[in-house]
Amino acid sequence: MSCVPELGTGYVDGALDEASRAAVEAHLAGCAACRDQVAYERALRQRLRALAPVEPRPALAAEVRKGLRPRTPLAVRVLLPIAAGLAVLFLWGRGAAPFVAWELARDHDHCFAKPVLPAQVWSDDPAHVTAWFARQGTQLPAVPAAAGGLELVGARYCPLIDRKVGHLYYAGRGRHLSVYAVPGSVRFPREFLDRPRARVVRLLRVEGRTVGLVGERPEDVAAFERALTATYARLTLEAAGAEH
Amino acid sequence: MDRDERFEAEALPHLRSLYGTAYRMTRNAHDAEDLVQETFLRAYRAFDRYAAGTNIRAWLYTILQRVRTDAFRRAARSPSTVELSGEGPAVPAPQEALARGGEDIERALLALPEAFRTAVVLRDVEDFSYEEIARILSVPIGTVMSRIHRGRALLRQALAGSRP
Repeated sequence: MSCVPELGTGYVDGALDEASRAAVEAHLAGCAACRDQVAYERALRQRLRALAPVEPRPALAAEVRKGLRPRTPLAVRVLLPIAAGLAVLFLWGRGAAPFVAWELARDHDHCFAKPVLPAQVWSDDPAHVTAWFARQGTQLPAVPAAAGGLELVGARYCPLIDRKVGHLYYAGRGRHLSVYAVPGSVRFPREFLDRPRARVVRLLRVEGRTVGLVGERPEDVAAFERALTATYARLTLEAAGAEH
Repeated sequence: MDRDERFEAEALPHLRSLYGTAYRMTRNAHDAEDLVQETFLRAYRAFDRYAAGTNIRAWLYTILQRVRTDAFRRAARSPSTVELSGEGPAVPAPQEALARGGEDIERALLALPEAFRTAVVLRDVEDFSYEEIARILSVPIGTVMSRIHRGRALLRQALAGSRP
């Protein structure tokens, strides 16, 4: 057999079958070069086996273990806290005056933007409208027939995100104004003025009820605020006079 | 013993030797850690398919090699990635090797082309048989013998002048 260096390697590693091993041994007896190769590979192997182990960072084992744990799905890890946060924000925010004011301004624009007002009751008589609401369980405070040149046109119930409000339409001289009967709790000290969506929104309490005024000009809103208070005072006086 | 406990008891004790091989494959600690992390993650997912009582060490090394091959494929697709194979200049030897005077042979080993380096490491450092190496690398036994032979011959050249 002539030199087959690869078989020398297999011989060193004890990886040859019986016949090949015998053939290599016979060859080695007469071949100094192959004997040298075998001796060198044996020595090299000893040195490689004696190489110091490469040590990992001590923390690697813990990191590997951590990486094995089933990961919490994205939905639970990220979306759930966000949803919970939004829910808390919504629950807290829905009674907040700026939130209610913004909703009323949005509803005002929504109704008055329609080609025909979506009124459920058409009337310029406050008594008629008040009676209509009373039949459906909503007690209105005393509302004026007109103020600042704007007159009562009609009314309806409008849905906000979290509640249903009584919506009275006033119009005149190309301007619009909404008087809202707002049920449920709204947090504001005594009265509240805001300008969401380029509208003037006033929240006030009349006869213990929350009333929202939404208009396009501050003067109109101020006129209605005076009218509501005055109407209330006049009615109170009349009621007192009637008793006597 | 549940699955996690079995994995902990049977697979994780091989972390140290897997890391050593991963380091000698990748020649840097960062890639070696990534390789080991990914290897254990895949092993953990496939642990149900591993037949208990068989050669878990060879099984883990097979996964290690597969992860390494996949990393190469990704690197080949991504032009911004530095080529990981071939001759590497000035590879820092592990501190332990320096301390024990094994610097020259460790350096020479790390300078081998990866195919030969891995074959020599699996045979001479990790002491796997040719059959096991053939399975780990998915190559015929003849190829294992040829790679080990070539690797040792290159090491001899590199170490010429120093003691064998």
